[in-house]
Amino acid sequence: MKRRRLLKQMLLLSAGFTLAGPFYRINGNGVRAAGAPDIARVVGADYGTAVKEAVDMLGGMKQFISPGQNVVVKPNIGWDRNPDQAANTHPVVVRTLVEMACDAGAKTVRVFDYTCNEKRRSYNNSGMTEAIASIGDKRAKLVHIDQRKFKNTRIPEAKALKEWDIYKDALTADCYINVPVAKHHGLSRLTLGLKNSMGVIGGRRGRLHHNLGQNLADLATLIKPELTVIDATRILLDNGPQGGSLDDVRQLDTVLASVDPVAADALATTLFELEPKVISSTVAAYEMGLGEMDPGRMNIMERSV
Amino acid sequence: MNRAVRKIRYRLLSGARIIVQLAALALFFFLFIKTDYTDSDTLQYAVNILFRLDPLLALATMLALKTVIALMFPAVIIVVLSLVSGRSFCGWLCPMGALLDCWSRMFRRKSGHSPTRFPDLPAVLLVIIVVSAVLGVPLAGYIDPFSILVRGLSQAVYPGFNEVTVSFFTFTYDRAPESVNLVTEPLYAFLQKTVLPADQKYYRLGLISLAVLGAVFVLEFYQRRFFCRSVCPLGALLGWCAGLGLLSVQGGDDTCGRCRICRTTCRMGAVDEDRRIDPQRCTLCMDCFTACPRQIIAFDPVRPVSGPVGLSLSRRRFMGSAAAAVILPSVIGTRTLAVQPDPLLIRPPGSTAEIEFLQRCVRCGQCMQVCITNGLQPVMLRAGVEGMFSPYLVARTGYCEFNCTLCGQVCPTGAIAPLEKEEKHRFKIGHAWFDKNLCLPFAKNTPCIVCEEHCPTPEKAIRFQTVSVVDEAGETRSLKQPYVVDDLCIGCGICETMCPLPGRPGIFVTSDGEVRNPDNRLPSPDTETDVYG
Repeated sequence: MKRRRLLKQMLLLSAGFTLAGPFYRINGNGVRAAGAPDIARVVGADYGTAVKEAVDMLGGMKQFISPGQNVVVKPNIGWDRNPDQAANTHPVVVRTLVEMACDAGAKTVRVFDYTCNEKRRSYNNSGMTEAIASIGDKRAKLVHIDQRKFKNTRIPEAKALKEWDIYKDALTADCYINVPVAKHHGLSRLTLGLKNSMGVIGGRRGRLHHNLGQNLADLATLIKPELTVIDATRILLDNGPQGGSLDDVRQLDTVLASVDPVAADALATTLFELEPKVISSTVAAYEMGLGEMDPGRMNIMERSV
Repeated sequence: MNRAVRKIRYRLLSGARIIVQLAALALFFFLFIKTDYTDSDTLQYAVNILFRLDPLLALATMLALKTVIALMFPAVIIVVLSLVSGRSFCGWLCPMGALLDCWSRMFRRKSGHSPTRFPDLPAVLLVIIVVSAVLGVPLAGYIDPFSILVRGLSQAVYPGFNEVTVSFFTFTYDRAPESVNLVTEPLYAFLQKTVLPADQKYYRLGLISLAVLGAVFVLEFYQRRFFCRSVCPLGALLGWCAGLGLLSVQGGDDTCGRCRICRTTCRMGAVDEDRRIDPQRCTLCMDCFTACPRQIIAFDPVRPVSGPVGLSLSRRRFMGSAAAAVILPSVIGTRTLAVQPDPLLIRPPGSTAEIEFLQRCVRCGQCMQVCITNGLQPVMLRAGVEGMFSPYLVARTGYCEFNCTLCGQVCPTGAIAPLEKEEKHRFKIGHAWFDKNLCLPFAKNTPCIVCEEHCPTPEKAIRFQTVSVVDEAGETRSLKQPYVVDDLCIGCGICETMCPLPGRPGIFVTSDGEVRNPDNRLPSPDTETDVYG
């Protein structure tokens, strides 16, 4: 299924190249560029509504989840920081996606992250523990990483990262929803969707920093989210990835959603008034054919709620 | 009251004692497991209460400091209890005593009378502890039963229990068929939720702590309650209170049947040849009450004038012990450690200055148990022989979590002062230094600023500058090289913990700049205009 989708996307992408010429800047229900990935960009102070709207603009959660499937929602819960400090994905964004997954008939919805700070503190102070508990659905579970589930896995399409310990549940999920928070990062400039995949790998993760862009692109050949939702409700502009000072936080009330992980990262980069090409993982993933990085060749659907 | 009625009454009381003892043990284990982060920034239970109830630790610490420590006031409760009802604490409440009794029962050790091996040793140890405490060196933490127990359990037994349990469930998870996992996985989840720690912990002196605790249990094969009879200085202190006290036990006398069953029953060796019961040793376990064929042993509400009162040490032994206790304190101040502390001795945030810290620290190990990152470790000899088992930060093992203040909350003596979160954020315990021979951007021209990424201060204490370097191929590249901002670094050590180098880290923390020691202040070119004086 995944291979078929990849082939299809590659065909569409190459078609996109041949058709490239007119530069579409598309609003809301505007014209659709052939082969361009859909990307929803919703602005709204009610984050729950914004997330719902963004996913609905892509065709709704039923597009991604069939009844009885096992779903993984992977936010960034890496740090012992509160929601205002913008170091972790906003709990309302995560809660809404988990609720939508339950409504779409998922059998289980598991939420987890391999945290950088102490795991219980990170889960609690990010607001995630409370957010998931407040759903009150037994299918939705916020779980801690189980070290037994890190399995050394070959990455066949990789250029640099040929193998690594990868979390089993992330690979075996029927539907994997990546929910990063968009924020500043010293080495990679920003941390977005591709970097968020570091939360499902084990080992000494710091070693990936030596060739971060390519390593993340290599990971992206294996860890392929069915849906990427980027939380830019508030973004961290400096002292990332864990911040701590509200002076570094800017409120944007924005949520991006796409099936194309590279496109989502690329468009999120523009929110920081940066060009997508400055993010090495975006470039590396684009060059491997994993998605689109030029906002001009995306079908950007904008809406305010 | 006839004999039959007395017998029933004593049986009931004796049963009640066992129930109380088991309940106290269960409470001890409950608090032990809760000596952890419990989804709240503050501890939810008085997990350090056992150490605050301990009059031996309270006495030694307060004598060493020459001040009153309000935290340790609960110790008065045990003193009053001992004045009222003798060493009932030892027989009814002490978790070490309860575990030893369970242990003996497991191996069906019959009491049988044998003379106490070192009857004077507890009192000798008590004298040594008190005298050296007065001279500023408290040794109570090394031999106190609760320190030995909690240290051994938290640093060896509990981590070992987790290690074995996790290995078992890893095996079933990896190898056993699905049908087995249907049973084992829910069981594992249940254990994780109830008794297992959140993470596997590792301790430097785990084996030594285990050996000390293990010795107490192995000696039980030689004699029941060997530790309580021949070692425990807390028991000696409570015994001394008991000797002054109101309630004691009336033993047999010349008129009883002279069967001496009471003497062979007693686990404490408290009954002498003439069947008199020594209030300094009797723990009111009431075994002899029920064992006595005539039920003539009874509580005696008014102390008989006869019998030993006070420390049962000869004057010579008392003076000898006191003299021995003088040796260590007089030599300690003459070591190089006194003028040049070990730079890798990083104390937890809120720690008092070193001398006071060691005077307060009772080596209970609770700060290390509660440290959520496993960064606090017991010291071997870095702080001197008198500093063994005290806590220090080993940043390669774990770091000081920025928002966590649990070690200060759990410390029963105030050696680590409790800090508010905002206070803790600025509390400098040490300082980070780069080793440019190892750090990748310097040594190998390789991009890596994992330390900067993890640095927790809102305004980062580790920053980087972008420089041009010529790599091995002769090409000029731009590279980010990290540096430390002295005023912002608090020495939490997360940089050292997370440094991706496999062996020695490219960045490490030392105690330099720690607030508790003005001599350790970092050199500052701004304030010291003429460094040559």
